[in-house]
Amino acid sequence: MLTLSRVSRRYGETVALSGVDFVVPENTYMSLLGASGSGKTTLLRLIAGYEEPDQGEISIDGERIDGQPSHLRDIGFVFQNFALFPHLTVAENVAFGLRYRASAPLTKESEIKERTEDMMALVGLSGFGHRAVSAISGGQRQRVALARTLVCEPRIVLLDEPLGALDANLRARMCDELKAIRERLGVSFLHVTGSETEALTMGDKVAVLANGRIVQSDAPDMLFNQPGNAEAARHLNAWNIFEAGLCRGDFSSGTIAVRFDQMDVSAEGAAPQGRPALGAKYLTGEFNGPTALSFFRADDGTLLQVIDHLSQPRLPDLVEGQRYDIHFAPQALRQFHGAA
Amino acid sequence: MSALSTDTHSATTHSPAELREKKDRRRAISLLTPGLLWMFFFMVLPMAMVIYVSFWTQTTFSVNSTLTTASWKHFLSSATYLSAIWTTLRIWLIVLIATVVVGYPVALFIGLFVRNKTLQTALLVACVIPFWTSFLIRVIAWRPMLGTEGAINVILMKLGIISEPLTFLLFSEFSVLVGMTQIYCVFMVGPITFMLGRIDISVIEAARDLGASFGTIFRRIILPLSLPGVIVGAIFVSVMVLGEFATAASLSGRKVNLLGNIIVSQVGSLKWAFAAVAGVVLTIIITAVIALALRLVDLRKEM
Amino acid sequence: MESRILRPTLAIYTACFLLFLYGPMIVLAILSFQSIDGGPQFPIRDWSIYWYEHLLGLAETSRVSQLPVGESLIRSIVLAFMTTVVATVLGVMSAEAFRTKFKGSGPAFYLIILGMMVPGVLVGLGMALLSNTLDLGRAWWGTSFVLHVVYTYPFAFLVMLAIFNRFDRTVEEASLSLGVSPAQTFRRVTFPIIFPGVLSAMLFSFTLSYDEFARTLFTAGRDLTLPLAIYGTFSVEIYPNLFAFGVLTTLFSFTLLVIYGLLMKRFTSKASRYKGQEDA
Repeated sequence: MLTLSRVSRRYGETVALSGVDFVVPENTYMSLLGASGSGKTTLLRLIAGYEEPDQGEISIDGERIDGQPSHLRDIGFVFQNFALFPHLTVAENVAFGLRYRASAPLTKESEIKERTEDMMALVGLSGFGHRAVSAISGGQRQRVALARTLVCEPRIVLLDEPLGALDANLRARMCDELKAIRERLGVSFLHVTGSETEALTMGDKVAVLANGRIVQSDAPDMLFNQPGNAEAARHLNAWNIFEAGLCRGDFSSGTIAVRFDQMDVSAEGAAPQGRPALGAKYLTGEFNGPTALSFFRADDGTLLQVIDHLSQPRLPDLVEGQRYDIHFAPQALRQFHGAA
Repeated sequence: MSALSTDTHSATTHSPAELREKKDRRRAISLLTPGLLWMFFFMVLPMAMVIYVSFWTQTTFSVNSTLTTASWKHFLSSATYLSAIWTTLRIWLIVLIATVVVGYPVALFIGLFVRNKTLQTALLVACVIPFWTSFLIRVIAWRPMLGTEGAINVILMKLGIISEPLTFLLFSEFSVLVGMTQIYCVFMVGPITFMLGRIDISVIEAARDLGASFGTIFRRIILPLSLPGVIVGAIFVSVMVLGEFATAASLSGRKVNLLGNIIVSQVGSLKWAFAAVAGVVLTIIITAVIALALRLVDLRKEM
Repeated sequence: MESRILRPTLAIYTACFLLFLYGPMIVLAILSFQSIDGGPQFPIRDWSIYWYEHLLGLAETSRVSQLPVGESLIRSIVLAFMTTVVATVLGVMSAEAFRTKFKGSGPAFYLIILGMMVPGVLVGLGMALLSNTLDLGRAWWGTSFVLHVVYTYPFAFLVMLAIFNRFDRTVEEASLSLGVSPAQTFRRVTFPIIFPGVLSAMLFSFTLSYDEFARTLFTAGRDLTLPLAIYGTFSVEIYPNLFAFGVLTTLFSFTLLVIYGLLMKRFTSKASRYKGQEDA
């Protein structure tokens, strides 16, 4: 179990992380969702020991690891650019840790070969061992990076946007494989990404990093359906977040959030009774295949999005520039208190 | 006392980040120390020694460490030495200008007009290849070129342009200037080409499309952007020319005496203190030149 | 429009410039085939390889004394080799240090760079004075050697600085994350990747030291290095054997360059693997 408590990191005046509290349980696929520049890479680098926190503690199974040199932490790291050793072959890359690690390196060539080949078989690299790492595809490099890390049996594996360098098709396939491999080995993965779909698909749990701290950490469906605060909701790219005061009738206060797919649109003044409603101007629409997205501007300038599934169209024909009533069921809204 | 020590103890409890930073710094310094010590003992200390010995007492065949300004007085009142300073500055300035004038068009051609990367590299390599011949051989190679029975005179006479061999070509200030310009020109061509190579061609094309003449483009875009290259080149050429003595010794027939030649001849006759004075004067000149150049350009940024 | 005139003009000018650079060496090479009774000038009486034989000691007794190249050549090579090793090690260490930002890095940078800027005749004089004062003997393997390092170490440092600027740090971090110690990481990852750069730094140091003369002049003591031996001939009359020597040393340098090229080529395949990693 990896535990971070009150971890902070500054670079001069800029605060990258301010008081991160975070737990990655045993045998878990944990996704960490954050916008670019939110400090998620910094968080991984602190855990791996490439940098040290200004404040706070990082520990694994109760043993403090901050302050320890990176190579003694027993933490795997998969880089976005893979960071393969360019002067070694695929097999040499995979065997590298076993052969040269500081604690208990393997000396028997037969054992190194056996473990390397087992691991390469697990990630689907059998038969590629003799290749130069420049002579294999992006997806295969990803597998080498993974195999190289996993063969050392680290206590936890950190993955820094591991799918970022792959094209869309490959990404979908690697998603499944990453999950399967992890389940087979039973080691915890901490997978950092900027994509909410990736985070929700992959994670047994998903944490959201915003403004230098973890704003929520939950199971994916919990997080998606019940974000605990505006920041978390914002990162899911599925919630309209706006001031309750915009709605007609005095039923709520503070910041509220309503999912894109739970909003309906009627002609101005035609909103059904008993449903909170607000007026907004239709800006434009975006057709995404199975779904269509419509954009509205509320009176205070807030951008609202309404999603419509093609199989069950709910929206009337919309005219750009025209005002409409947007309404939703009272139980669909989530209310947040305090600062957004 | 104990209160004090606990105070300092609490002041020294650092966050992991500070400890890491300290460790990294210690590592950097320990990696750097051998090099810096080497530079201190074998460069700074000898230079300090030159300054120190310039105040020693010079007798006919030896020096002793009684401090005096006699050597300085001797140096500054001697027409030979003063004219050596003047010669050094004159030769330096002429060679510097000559390397810019000769080298800039070449750099302009290689850096800006040759778009083909392979040809560009080939031309640069062609400029550098002569460096794999010994410096002294390159100097001496000017003798069969410029001598009265040398290549230039032979060709000019064959062509009927002259009837008598030109004698000013060799063993004169001219031969020293030609030799130095040839040897040091590449140090000007290189940095300028590098800076010109960085210029975005589309900027020049855009300016041309707007109707700017080449003269305007050169003055407004090319020249300002290549100026750091000229200055870096000038630093290289200056430090090398100012410290020169071999070219003058072998091509001037003892007609050109630079400060470097003075140092060599004084050491040859065991006049260490006089050599040291000439050395200090040379150091002052070079320091002034480099300081001037460094005010114009940040060397570390251009590297 | 201007470039239609300007470009050919500059091209012709550049050709003339190259002729200016190579002319003297070409003339020197031609004259090295002068006959036995010819002088170091035109006309060529007869083509011969006499002066090459003379240089190598194969000619019969002649009025011209033989160039003292044999032992001095060996000394120069040994000196250049020693210099190369020390300068490259110092250069790599210093450049590695400069990968971390630290206070005082600016002055340290300039102190190192000063080594290539200070005229050889000055440090040579200073070193001679210092060894006189401390009553240390002067020798090419001692006083000259330390000055050669002062001169070549900045070059090696700058080459390595440029190499490390392009170096992708994440491969080192990857190695650490596999439990490999920093020292092993340097040996197994960093060094193999920067090796072509180290080779360049070594080539730089070797050629600079092999040809260095101003720094050796006052500090070599009794035994001469090759450039000193050549310099000694300047004061007396020169003969075409010096030209033959120039041609041979140039060929030797090119051999060295070819060896370097072949070594580099062996590593370019690995460099291209490295590139492959970058576009991934």
